[in-house]
Amino acid sequence: MSPPLLTVEHLDVVYDGTITALSDVSLTVGEGQVVAVLGSNGAGKTSLLRAVSRALDSYGGSVTGGTVRFAGEDLAGLDTAAVVRRGLVQVPEGRRVFRDLTVAENLRAGGYTVRDAAARAEARDRVFDLFPILAERRDQPGGLLSGGQQQMLAMGRALMVSPRLLLLDEPSLGLAPLLVDQIGEIVTEINRQGTAVLLIEQNAVMGLRVADAASVLEIGRVTASGPAAELAASDEVQERYLGVAVPVVATEVVGSEPAIPTAEPPQRLRVEGLTVRFGGITALSEVSFTVEPGTVHALIGPNGAGKSTLVNVLGGAYRATEGAVHYGDAELTALPAHRVAGLGVARTFQNISLALEDTVEDNLLVGRHRLMRAGVLSGAFRSPRARREEREHRETVAGIAELLGIGALLRTPVHTLAYGDRKRVEMGRALAARPSLLLLDEPVAGMTHGESQEMAETIRQVRRDLGLSIVLVEHDMPFVMGLAEQVTVLDFGKKIAEGTPAAVQRDPEVLRAYLGAAAA
Amino acid sequence: MSELPRKAGGAVLVLVALALPLVLSDFWLQTGLFVMAAAIGAVGLTLLVGVAGQLSLGHAAFAAIGAYVYAYTTGETTTSVTGLGLPPVLGLVLAVGVAALVGAAFSPVAGRLRGIYLGLATLGLVFVVRHLLVNLSDWTGGFTGRSVESFALGGFSFSNRDPDYLAVAGVEFEGLHRLWYLFLVLAVAACWLASNLRAGRTGRAWANVRDSETAAAAMGVGVAQVKASAFVVSSGYAGLAGAMLALAYGRVAPDVFGLTASVDFLVMIVLGGLGSVTGAVVGALFVTALPLVLAQYSSALPFLAAPGSGGLDPSTASRIVYGLAIIAVLVFLRGGLAGAARRLRQRTSTPAAPPAPRTPDDGDRPVAVTTPRSKETTR
Amino acid sequence: MSYLLEQVLNGLSYGLVLSLIAAGFAIVFTSTGVLNFAHGSVVLLGAYLVAVLHPTIGFWPAVLVGMAGSAVTGVLINAVLVRNLADRKPDTAAILMLGVDIVLLTELTRRIGNQVLTLGAPWGASVVRFGDVSLPTGRVLAAGVTVVAFAGLWYLFSRTDLGVGMRAAAADGPTASLMGIRLSRTAATGWALAGVLAAVAGVFLTSFPAPGVAPTVALSAFAAIPAWVLGGFDSVPGAVVGGLVIGLTSALVTGYEAELEPFLGTGFGEVAPYVVMIVVLLVRPSGLLGSKEAVRV
Repeated sequence: MSPPLLTVEHLDVVYDGTITALSDVSLTVGEGQVVAVLGSNGAGKTSLLRAVSRALDSYGGSVTGGTVRFAGEDLAGLDTAAVVRRGLVQVPEGRRVFRDLTVAENLRAGGYTVRDAAARAEARDRVFDLFPILAERRDQPGGLLSGGQQQMLAMGRALMVSPRLLLLDEPSLGLAPLLVDQIGEIVTEINRQGTAVLLIEQNAVMGLRVADAASVLEIGRVTASGPAAELAASDEVQERYLGVAVPVVATEVVGSEPAIPTAEPPQRLRVEGLTVRFGGITALSEVSFTVEPGTVHALIGPNGAGKSTLVNVLGGAYRATEGAVHYGDAELTALPAHRVAGLGVARTFQNISLALEDTVEDNLLVGRHRLMRAGVLSGAFRSPRARREEREHRETVAGIAELLGIGALLRTPVHTLAYGDRKRVEMGRALAARPSLLLLDEPVAGMTHGESQEMAETIRQVRRDLGLSIVLVEHDMPFVMGLAEQVTVLDFGKKIAEGTPAAVQRDPEVLRAYLGAAAA
Repeated sequence: MSELPRKAGGAVLVLVALALPLVLSDFWLQTGLFVMAAAIGAVGLTLLVGVAGQLSLGHAAFAAIGAYVYAYTTGETTTSVTGLGLPPVLGLVLAVGVAALVGAAFSPVAGRLRGIYLGLATLGLVFVVRHLLVNLSDWTGGFTGRSVESFALGGFSFSNRDPDYLAVAGVEFEGLHRLWYLFLVLAVAACWLASNLRAGRTGRAWANVRDSETAAAAMGVGVAQVKASAFVVSSGYAGLAGAMLALAYGRVAPDVFGLTASVDFLVMIVLGGLGSVTGAVVGALFVTALPLVLAQYSSALPFLAAPGSGGLDPSTASRIVYGLAIIAVLVFLRGGLAGAARRLRQRTSTPAAPPAPRTPDDGDRPVAVTTPRSKETTR
Repeated sequence: MSYLLEQVLNGLSYGLVLSLIAAGFAIVFTSTGVLNFAHGSVVLLGAYLVAVLHPTIGFWPAVLVGMAGSAVTGVLINAVLVRNLADRKPDTAAILMLGVDIVLLTELTRRIGNQVLTLGAPWGASVVRFGDVSLPTGRVLAAGVTVVAFAGLWYLFSRTDLGVGMRAAAADGPTASLMGIRLSRTAATGWALAGVLAAVAGVFLTSFPAPGVAPTVALSAFAAIPAWVLGGFDSVPGAVVGGLVIGLTSALVTGYEAELEPFLGTGFGEVAPYVVMIVVLLVRPSGLLGSKEAVRV
């Protein structure tokens, strides 16, 4: 038997010298196989592809252990261009077509390494065969194609080098179920024509359907692997990726005094007919829901459903195209972001956005900005009032840090903190702004199960102690189930279900959105 | 923890600066005046560029405004130029105030643009101000400029007259000596104010806007207003620096405040380390003193030739040295001299930080310098 | 009437030269994200090489060496300095280029000294007449060469693998590198192209009616910055439009200085481009033809 086409053995990947993304990952892709790698956000899936395609360097990452072999050859020391020439090519997540280049020029860029004109023409004919729509629209800019067509262009672009192994990063991301099925068929067809495929998917159903074998990646480690059919039947995969809820461990309620002054009472948040368009793409379409004061309301949906767009509209970072959001009597959609914050609406970010060089204390104090009065002059001259104010707010912030369990880290620069602690600092910064409405954008992305549980407890405690409303954005269903009173489910920018966690979990529309068309 | 040695070090420096006029020659005194004036300008610019993240190539324009406002408001009307003849103290206050006001007038631009785009807009400002200086000759004296009244406080003049003879410890204190102390007071005050600003609410807001405008706005920071405030403050600093340069030269002329001067200010803060007040002062010392010292001692330095002889003259040598210094600092010394000093302190005082595990790998990291400096995630 | 026409033609031909320089700014910016403040010095370097070499090797070979010299200088600046920046941010890169500019310009100024070097262009101070309008031959040639140069750029960027690869790399570097496009190579090509264009512009900026090669040429190359900004930071066609607008503006303001002086003062021709630039940045920060993403405000 010939050796497998791709062999990854004991691979370790580290970013910026300290941040571990993968440890001890092994997998193989045989000639003519389709192998899927499943896992949630932050599991290290993309890092794995970058390690294989030798593109880690440009993201500040490096392979610190293990080997990647392609057709028996160790890829260490090669650059991406050299790897591409050997017939291994990666399609990036989010398609990334060159928007200002025409379809034909996109394909030309894809075939950049192919010097032989005949081979190139042949590859292009094959791409046009596979995707007739691309031939039809060959002279249009890539940016004008629809999402599904862009995915086809991205795949076609990679096929221009007639690869032996195709790396696909989340091809189903943000696509409608029908299109997901179509992309799945195309993957199968590409494979039938003799190209092996390594497929990264969050959509476990799609991944497991087209693959021969699969691995599950969690926080940088392979936690399960085997033939696709076997994995699809396993409890772990069912539980984690196919939406079967885990019972949430009820934790002891610790009776503690509120450590920080509570905010003004929360108001009702009303989202009415909200539509957001970017260029030609509709990210949100006529979404309406209401968050009752003092409740935890979850917004869930698959990647690309429009959840983050919605949070960004609520926080004032994006403008609504149509519709309105009211918080109490105030119309949030008519206000710039800093005025929204002034109403007591605070938020965290999906990708942590902290001042890394500064201490935890200074980062938390930023949250106090709107509650402090010291201006340029009084600050510069350290007027007694400014000094008193600074002292008082430092005390408050210390209280918040205690509440979140980061009290001992106040004087520590953020860049030395662990990921979970950084997430806490961000939450602390939002709480420091004394919000009555807290927007949490994927608070547990990239966390271990244990850390997620801790974070859930923290959120519960915050809600209980401070009596505020929380809008929680998550794609991780089990996490949300134990926390929220109400759930709104988004899919392709539309609201598809709403209700209590238990009701939503049984909703056929929701099952279809999470599990793909076949499951409905 | 590090507060005490820092304060002690500062106190020693100030004491030394207080004593220096007793021993220094006129050349060194004059150099010191230029250094202190430049340091104030650099401190203002480091607040804008280093702390608030707004690139400015127009700093010299604001220095020019400060210098000319001082010259015009305190000067007498002569056959060639007009002047208001106001008391010098008032002139100095007006120099700062008008420069800050012009900065505020520019704030629609400063609040909307950032990074190199603002840098380009401010580049235009240098040329516009220069054009005005040359053409408004009734006030400015045109190409040749105008002379500057010496500073005075009450009846005490910071020149060689009034009182005609003043001696401390047997050293006659002439204009240069007296100005030295005036400048020292101003420089220390300017550094103190800048440090306070940086450490307080305003400084945090500036840094927040620099790191991510989206995150800053989400925390209730009015981004445009905060950016404008950084611009106004730095313009005020530049105005003061300009007035002080005018006092040190005794004259103002458009050529002093050209693009080169703007670049010089930038060089100072880059060498010192963006955002560091101490770094700005050190940078000012290096950039200002180097050409003067090389010129003064050119005859003693074998590799230097007399100006105009085609060889390596002092001003050419110093420009090449500090051009190379910028390149070296940017390529080898992350964070300039201040950054290097900070790393040195960290290495000697604290053990290595615990490694931070994991990061979501979906986020893009910069690959080329094309990425905007902010870590924004929501645009 | 013929005075106006002459000013317009002068402005347009001068504008085309500016657009060569502006295109260099745009190409370097799109291929590496660097605001190349040393570009003026590279223009001067090209002209200087021609001026120094033409007596020994002849004018045309000297022009070739000038182009090569400027191109190599650009490539080296990128490979040795920009790629090794400790802190890869656009502002830091811009400041680095200020440093490079200081070194290059100071050294060239020292070499040139107080003289004005002659370029040795075969067209000398000759003039071409169109009816009652006369234009310096150098300017007419400049217009022709510029048109050819831009036609060449168009061909490169739309018809060759290298050019399409460069555009892909500029649009999305990480993705382009996944296709096997080596970013270091497209970047080097960008810097080299900018250098060649700079040298060509340098030749025309220093031949008649300009007196010759003097350090001030680097500064007049600065006037191309407004042209670049006006056209859009990432747009080569924008550089042409920007160059023409700025060239025309300066020529007309200078040509009618006597009439304009009571309102605008003397020497407004030098300032006008920058005034235009500030207004453009305020009203349309991405320039006339630039893509919106180039500026996020």
